[in-house]
Amino acid sequence: MTNVNIQIRDAFFNALYTIAKKDKRVILVTADCGAPSLDRFREELRGQYYTVGIAEQNMISVAAGLALEGRIVYVYAIAPFATLRCYEQIKVDLCCMSLPVTILGVGAGLAYDIMGPTHHTTEDISIMRALPNMTIFNPSDNVMAGAFARLSYELPGPKYVRFDRAGIPVIYDKIKTDFSAGMTELKRGRDICIVATGVMTHTALKAVKELQRHSINAGVIDLYRLKPVDEKMFLGLISDYGHVVTLEEHLLAGGLGSIVSAIISDNDKHVRLKRIGICDKYNFEYGGRERLHELCRLDIKSLVDSITRWFSAEKVLVGNE
Amino acid sequence: MSIDIKALKDKARWVRNQILEMSLCAGSGHVTSSFSCTELLVALYHGGILRFDPKDPKWSGRDRFILSKGQSGIGLYPVLADLGFFPVSELRRFAQTDSFLGVHSERHTPGIEAVTGSLGHGLGLGIGMALAAKQDRKKHLTVVMLGDSECYEGSNWEAAMFASHNKLNNLVGIIDRNGMGVLDFTERSLKLEPFGDKWRSFGWDVKSIDGHSFSEIFAAFKNIRNRRSTKPLMIIAETVKGKGVSFMEHKLLWHYRVPAGKEIEIARKELGRAI
Repeated sequence: MTNVNIQIRDAFFNALYTIAKKDKRVILVTADCGAPSLDRFREELRGQYYTVGIAEQNMISVAAGLALEGRIVYVYAIAPFATLRCYEQIKVDLCCMSLPVTILGVGAGLAYDIMGPTHHTTEDISIMRALPNMTIFNPSDNVMAGAFARLSYELPGPKYVRFDRAGIPVIYDKIKTDFSAGMTELKRGRDICIVATGVMTHTALKAVKELQRHSINAGVIDLYRLKPVDEKMFLGLISDYGHVVTLEEHLLAGGLGSIVSAIISDNDKHVRLKRIGICDKYNFEYGGRERLHELCRLDIKSLVDSITRWFSAEKVLVGNE
Repeated sequence: MSIDIKALKDKARWVRNQILEMSLCAGSGHVTSSFSCTELLVALYHGGILRFDPKDPKWSGRDRFILSKGQSGIGLYPVLADLGFFPVSELRRFAQTDSFLGVHSERHTPGIEAVTGSLGHGLGLGIGMALAAKQDRKKHLTVVMLGDSECYEGSNWEAAMFASHNKLNNLVGIIDRNGMGVLDFTERSLKLEPFGDKWRSFGWDVKSIDGHSFSEIFAAFKNIRNRRSTKPLMIIAETVKGKGVSFMEHKLLWHYRVPAGKEIEIARKELGRAI
């Protein structure tokens, strides 16, 4: 049973420890990146834990070499460095050879807030989804994160799991799912459907309550497997909506909004789409994540304002068509 | 095992002929950077250094060889074909429709361990393999061949540190030190020297040899499976880019160029009749 108070990455590592204890093929390679839950892994599973130092390119290549010899490998670093710094190694060593290596990146989105843009992970969905053979998981709570340890162990090929950093409330403790679908409809609505991922799923759920005050009945889909997306299932879930909003703590270029936009247009669906995310700039402001959300218009007040204005204008437009 | 140096020299001449003819068929190929490592490849595979089974390319007891300078795939393919990893008839289909032999070597080709071609990956891959061998207490070697210009890639030095720290003495690197990059000579564009000292300072044992001398190559690999040292070994093989064809040797123009017209005649003549 998942301890609701533990962080997302610790829930994952706790589950991974249990798997690794039984299967000596499981190896963890880190780029000098730690976690409380890793201490046990490091101390008790010595032959299954390596550090490469702050050397992400080598981390990926060594992991690939181990995987070529039959190991199931996990690599771990702060998310922007686990993805951008070694992107070519991910492409060539992991994706070209479709090797069972899971990249674990901590600090999704703006989780490292006051560290500044070097530590913000706001491009990773865009670049990782461009890679053939890659699977992308974005857990929205620690129940899901624990399940992703098992899923990543069982699935072939390269995977990327992006962890938030802060304590995130639990959503899935009472929802029965094995998370193999890649998405969950958390609330059915009537007027608009908010498709969110990761930490923004929680924001979406809060926004629903506020939107109700504006007589907008909103539903929420948590899209936690960003690649591949079960398009048939997704289109089925949004089929009764005329309006969809995507919500992500990621640059608009190539993220969740782009994923949904592509699905809608590729399948000729006539749905009005509004993409909400981080605009095309880096944020050097400080004051914490909530402050950054205000600046990026990802806070509840801004969201509700954006959505209500858009939906009102949409209703006028649709009425005139 | 006694080594027939004359037979190996003949084999090297044959391989160079194949490289030339393959590049002419395809109109493409890194001829000169494959000519520079021909003796090394022939020694490894035909000289009994590496253990392998052409009928079972994935035999678990095989030595692992990674051609990190993947552009020399055109040099490795004739060696593998000649040993029976795949039909020799495939060589003339190099880089053409439905061929599995591309300009850069990759894993779908029998006998090739990994996708290479983007430089700076092979050493890290080899380290992962050597690490697994240590964990499993297996005795096979992992050998990685790199280009000297390839060593500009920082990833190699990340790998070098890791290899020595983890005492991977079952790992051997070979550098095809032909002294030339794409646009310029290495010592004019960005100095690699003192090259051997760099590897020693990263915790490797280093041997420097003439990469075209079979006797020196074999001397470098003597007792390779019984090394007392806990360090990985780097063999820096001094070579000539374009070795074997006079108008190509040491010439920057020929990094990625295929002979044409009279050049073909001269090259064929200088390489001698293929066996």
